[in-house]
Amino acid sequence: MTEPTPLGELEHLILLAILRLRADAYGLSVARELQAQAGRPLSRGALYTSLERLELKGLIRWKLETGGPERQGLPKRVYTVTPRGVASVRASRRLLRRMWRGLDDVLKEPAP
Amino acid sequence: MTQPGRPTAKKPAVVRPVGWLLRRILPRHEAEMSLGDLLEDLHDSGSQRRFTLDACSVILHGIARRARSRAHTSERNRMGTRMESLLMDVKFAARSLWKRPGFALVVLVTLALGIGAATAIFSVFEGILLRPLPLADPDRLVAANELDGEDRMPFAWPNYKDFRDRAQSFESLACHQANAFNLVGNGPARRVSGRLVCASFFDVLGVPMQAGRTFTASDDALGATPVAVVSDRFWKQDLGGDPSVIGRTLRTTELIFTVVGVLPPGFRFARPEDIYAPIGLTITPASGWLARGNHFGLNAVGRLKAAVSAQQADAELKRIAENLKREYPNTNARSSAEVVPLRERLVDQVRGTLEALMGAVAFLLLLACVNVANLFVARGAARRHELAIRAALGSSRLRVIRQLLAESSLLSLVGGVLGVAVAYWFLRTLIALAPDGIPRIEDIRLNRASLAFAFGSSALCGLIFGAFPALQASSFRGTQMLTRAGSMGQVSSRRTRRVLMAIEVALALVLLTGCGLMARTMARLNAVDPGFDPNGLTTARVVLSGDAWNDAGRRLAFHDSVLTEVRRIPGVTAAALTLSLPIEGSNWGSIFIVRDKPVPPRPDLPAAAFIPVSPDYFQTMGMRLRAGRAFTDADNPASRRVVIVNETFARRLWPGEDPLGRQVKQGWPETPEADAPWREVVGVVADVTLEGVDQDVPMQAYLPLRQNPSRSVAIVARTSVRPEFVGRQLETAVHTIEKDLAVTRVLPMTELMRNAIARQRLSTMILGVFAAVALLLAAVGLYGVVSHSVTERTREIGVRMALGSGRSAVLKLFVMHGLATAAAGTVVGMAGVFALSRWLETLLFGIEPTDPVTFVAVAVVLLIVAAAACYIPARRAARLDPLNALRAE
Repeated sequence: MTEPTPLGELEHLILLAILRLRADAYGLSVARELQAQAGRPLSRGALYTSLERLELKGLIRWKLETGGPERQGLPKRVYTVTPRGVASVRASRRLLRRMWRGLDDVLKEPAP
Repeated sequence: MTQPGRPTAKKPAVVRPVGWLLRRILPRHEAEMSLGDLLEDLHDSGSQRRFTLDACSVILHGIARRARSRAHTSERNRMGTRMESLLMDVKFAARSLWKRPGFALVVLVTLALGIGAATAIFSVFEGILLRPLPLADPDRLVAANELDGEDRMPFAWPNYKDFRDRAQSFESLACHQANAFNLVGNGPARRVSGRLVCASFFDVLGVPMQAGRTFTASDDALGATPVAVVSDRFWKQDLGGDPSVIGRTLRTTELIFTVVGVLPPGFRFARPEDIYAPIGLTITPASGWLARGNHFGLNAVGRLKAAVSAQQADAELKRIAENLKREYPNTNARSSAEVVPLRERLVDQVRGTLEALMGAVAFLLLLACVNVANLFVARGAARRHELAIRAALGSSRLRVIRQLLAESSLLSLVGGVLGVAVAYWFLRTLIALAPDGIPRIEDIRLNRASLAFAFGSSALCGLIFGAFPALQASSFRGTQMLTRAGSMGQVSSRRTRRVLMAIEVALALVLLTGCGLMARTMARLNAVDPGFDPNGLTTARVVLSGDAWNDAGRRLAFHDSVLTEVRRIPGVTAAALTLSLPIEGSNWGSIFIVRDKPVPPRPDLPAAAFIPVSPDYFQTMGMRLRAGRAFTDADNPASRRVVIVNETFARRLWPGEDPLGRQVKQGWPETPEADAPWREVVGVVADVTLEGVDQDVPMQAYLPLRQNPSRSVAIVARTSVRPEFVGRQLETAVHTIEKDLAVTRVLPMTELMRNAIARQRLSTMILGVFAAVALLLAAVGLYGVVSHSVTERTREIGVRMALGSGRSAVLKLFVMHGLATAAAGTVVGMAGVFALSRWLETLLFGIEPTDPVTFVAVAVVLLIVAAAACYIPARRAARLDPLNALRAE
């Protein structure tokens, strides 16, 4: 297997959101998760663009599910992270950990 | 989250268009998926605002993604359709032009000026000369009149009837005569323009009435109840749009008319007129209409039979005229007749002017094109590197040409749009400045034809100036250009530019010469000695029409009291009356015989303008008495009949002899003395430009007004104040004597003279603007060519200087280089002018179209401007530091 693809920050966050949502990751829920956890307002168009890019890179895949009456029966794409995507997230975590090492004094959160 | 049983809320209005848009922009799956997300969010949050914002975001990103992927595939696979790659070309062109706004701006200004001027002149040309008359089946309408030798002459009434009865070419023929009606009642009297017409006049033209009826044969007869037809404008403005207008009466000094019809809006014959009445009412035995020798402004309009051409009708009338000549040798010896299409007749005074202007503006447009082509060639040369890289990267030659053509087409299209704006403004200015009496000026507007012309010419321009540089630039070999061996291309582009430049100079020379000839014409016209002093003169006209003025004694009394009243006006230093004013032209032309000379055969009888004037006329006008005496109060009905002639008259009739004491008589030798007495010549006055400053002076014979009390008189008053201040008081003076008299044409004499040459003045102005623009374009073009060659040859200059060439030698090199081009253009232009100048002939006065002074002057001006345009960049070359120049890339 080749080197895992390096991730941009937004891509990283989207992958994590999909992983957290487990079986319920589709466009709107991913957007809500990002908003709720990362506090990151992300335009819907940009989200779809990023999802498409992640798909092109082979980091996620999706399957179509029929929607309920709340979306007037329109289908939704339910995303899952591919093994390659998981590897990329792992690589990012490793990289960040390496970079965090020895910075505890600086990064220590102030006591609540 | 949702309760399945819950009825869904009514869909907000935005949902449907968003769905529509998404389905158009995104692939189906994507569209449905994202719309589903949006709807779900809307369902949960209920915020339409968020729905709309998110939807916009999805749509915009969708467009961007689509464009990216499309550009990707079309570049890589050449799978893009023709349309898309054209779009790409245009987008690329726009971007590359945007990078050099200066270039684009110069091109656009040049094109806007060229296309704008051409479109405006074309609109005038089309509206007046090309558009069919707004009458039924206008191509079958013709105008007919008699000819006196070569000159147009109105019909004599008996002749008209003979032509009408004998001619077979016409479905119908109708006569008409311009006539002003003296309307009285309701405030001060006023003159209203109109026309006396045959009963069939409106049927010939095919005009239905808006209300009421046209004339019948029984209306058109002596002693019939007077009826009239009025224009839509007159009905709405002067009669207040009265719905019961039919049957209303119009009181004039002569007759009381009953309105029987209202013309449709927009109807116009020759010029806007308000009242039409049957001509038959005025043809009384006493009026002189019935004499075959009297030609009283009667013209005819006819509708040709279906298969008959205007030429055939013309030939037929000429044949009838030959017969009439044999039947009535006394009166018809010199006369013939002619038929021309009505449209041509209405516009023939302005045709020459318009054709010349249209020609001039075509040259200006061509010049603008060549100038832009020149700029493009220069740009092509500067972009060799870019084009070479594209060629090296595998761009086909066709592709490069298409790219360059896209740029030129884009520019010419935008230029066309700007040109229409310029044309709109220019046309409004032109119409505002146009002299009075231009036929069909109401028909001029920017219409579909003008727009078609503007965009047609801009498309043609785009092809002309785009093709050159595109072919040239694309012929470079990629490898050649990337290595520094591209100087062959440079040389050829330089040659192209010099040829284009020479063409530009030649075109500018043609326009400058046209303008120069017109300027000389204006100078000649202004220098004409009118034979009197127009400054401080005011004029007005009064017509004593109607039976009440049949008594000559009453007219004489009126003349006397008017003069007394006018002389009382403060500021008036002298006043007089005349039948015919200078410039306005003769109102009474007549043949005459001379007692001491043999009577020539009838066709050769001399004719003169006969002008009754009051005693102080010559003094008031500032005319010069050459011999004998002026009229006095003693020249009255009881005294001997006398006449004063002008110098031309004296010179023609009695060359080298003393005219005083000779006798002349109007009419034929057999005309009874009671109608035309012998008159003795008692004085000679200097010639006056009676028919306008640009016309030959006719023979003039002045008669004492007291011996010939005419019904129509012009008042002339010399004032010590500005003539404009007196005009109003002239009217008051007349109205204190007789309130039912209309006073018309109240004008300072100087204005009358200005109006007379207004056509030439306007043409001069327009040609002047064209010439100035042409000169500017040529100068800018030359500047560009020389400046560009200085840049290209910087190294060469360095070498020359290093080898000992002086600065003045370098200066001379470049100035001469530019001047040689200009001189070549001048020579070509001269040849062009010789070939074309006859188009200007109708506009010129007092000079030949090949006037050498103008030619030399124009060539000198052009070469001086060319030298100046070359000097600026040449000086830059001369000031180069040789060391820097040698290092230049």
